[in-house]
Amino acid sequence: MKLTSESYEVTDAFEANELYQRNGWTDGLPIVPPTEAGVLRFLDAAGLAAADVVGIEPVRRRRITAEKLAIAALMAGCLPEYMPVVVAVVKAMCEPQFGLHGSTASTGGSAPLVVVNGPIRIALGMNATHNALANAARANATIGRTIRLFLLNVLGGIPGQLDRSTLGHPGKFTFCVAEDEEDSPWTPLAQERGIAPGQSAVTVMSVESPHQIMNEWTHDPTEVLDTYAAAIRANMLTYSIWEGNYAMVVPKQHRQIFSAAGWDKRRIREYIYETAHVQRREWRTVGKSTIAGLKDEDRTYRALRSPDDLLVVAAGGPAGAFGVILPPWYGKKSLAVTAPISAPKGDVR
Amino acid sequence: MTLRVLDPRQSAEGEALQMAPALASLRDAVVGLLDNAKIGTARFYDHVEDILRTEHGVREFIRRRKSDATRPAPNEIVAQLSGADALISGIGD
Repeated sequence: MKLTSESYEVTDAFEANELYQRNGWTDGLPIVPPTEAGVLRFLDAAGLAAADVVGIEPVRRRRITAEKLAIAALMAGCLPEYMPVVVAVVKAMCEPQFGLHGSTASTGGSAPLVVVNGPIRIALGMNATHNALANAARANATIGRTIRLFLLNVLGGIPGQLDRSTLGHPGKFTFCVAEDEEDSPWTPLAQERGIAPGQSAVTVMSVESPHQIMNEWTHDPTEVLDTYAAAIRANMLTYSIWEGNYAMVVPKQHRQIFSAAGWDKRRIREYIYETAHVQRREWRTVGKSTIAGLKDEDRTYRALRSPDDLLVVAAGGPAGAFGVILPPWYGKKSLAVTAPISAPKGDVR
Repeated sequence: MTLRVLDPRQSAEGEALQMAPALASLRDAVVGLLDNAKIGTARFYDHVEDILRTEHGVREFIRRRKSDATRPAPNEIVAQLSGADALISGIGD
């Protein structure tokens, strides 16, 4: 197989990293030098040819080749067997409803959150328990980082150039979560979104920074959800009032409360749909009086267009009544996309 | 022993749009103003239009507003703007 990327000769791995740092080809962290032999291993693991087009970015029509994705994955520290996950994520991000260009370029500074479901989590040793949203496992860390390097180098999402984020957030380095299917009473996220049981899949959503909540003083599921809903309402008032997808990460200690009360994900979504709303006049309480009065102040704004807009993810360590809500980048301008993960040679696993 | 490492960047492969050549003069020109639907763009373009008309002699403006700042202009709007000699497209805030 022939690769077409230009190549550069360097004396060693240290100098390779220095080259990429100097040229702005990394996120500031060191990279694994992408050699031809390494890239070929990654392509082989995904059953792809170098020239295969994994996706086309819909706005600038940039063709995303397997070769460049393999380079990004190798640089990020992935193992070759992670490639099918990376490919599925990029395919999902190229769906028009994801709004890849807008969410990458916006001053709003969102990050693509990746949620992985299915047997591949176990095969790759992904973490879904302690420190579920942060550093705990190589696969989570490096698959998420690959997406940032892809945005940077393949789509040109360079801070200050195409990436106009005012602040961004730490999830822009890497943000890949596995759902704790083995220790959850609930239907996995991907299955809720149309993927067959036993089929691995990714769900990608443009999210703002996580907002952690805590409620360890009740066993009433509605009280627990009132805390999550309060965080959503706070986001609607202080960040963006617009409806769209929200994600909610629920740890075991809260899952046990819902499970004991017989609450499934559907019931959680319906409760949040009913309770997560604000009135326009409430903007006056958070310093937005100038704009509050421009329209009917009695108007009620919901966080979700329907209960299905809420992504409920089971993840987190076994102890601690903490949860997280993840707000959308900009209402429904970017919607979550779920895509199956294909095994090499096009099979699905 | 040295290493050969690969360029991680992907070029646009000729798909990127080219900038139109600059006009020699704006006098009697038709200028398109594409509003990206951000909250301050219309007022900003009012000023731009005033300056271009009074100081540069622009004859006519075609103003169109996208429905969504995060998406490209629909083909219908692009077609309407194609009659302009020059186009200003608002991006960002």
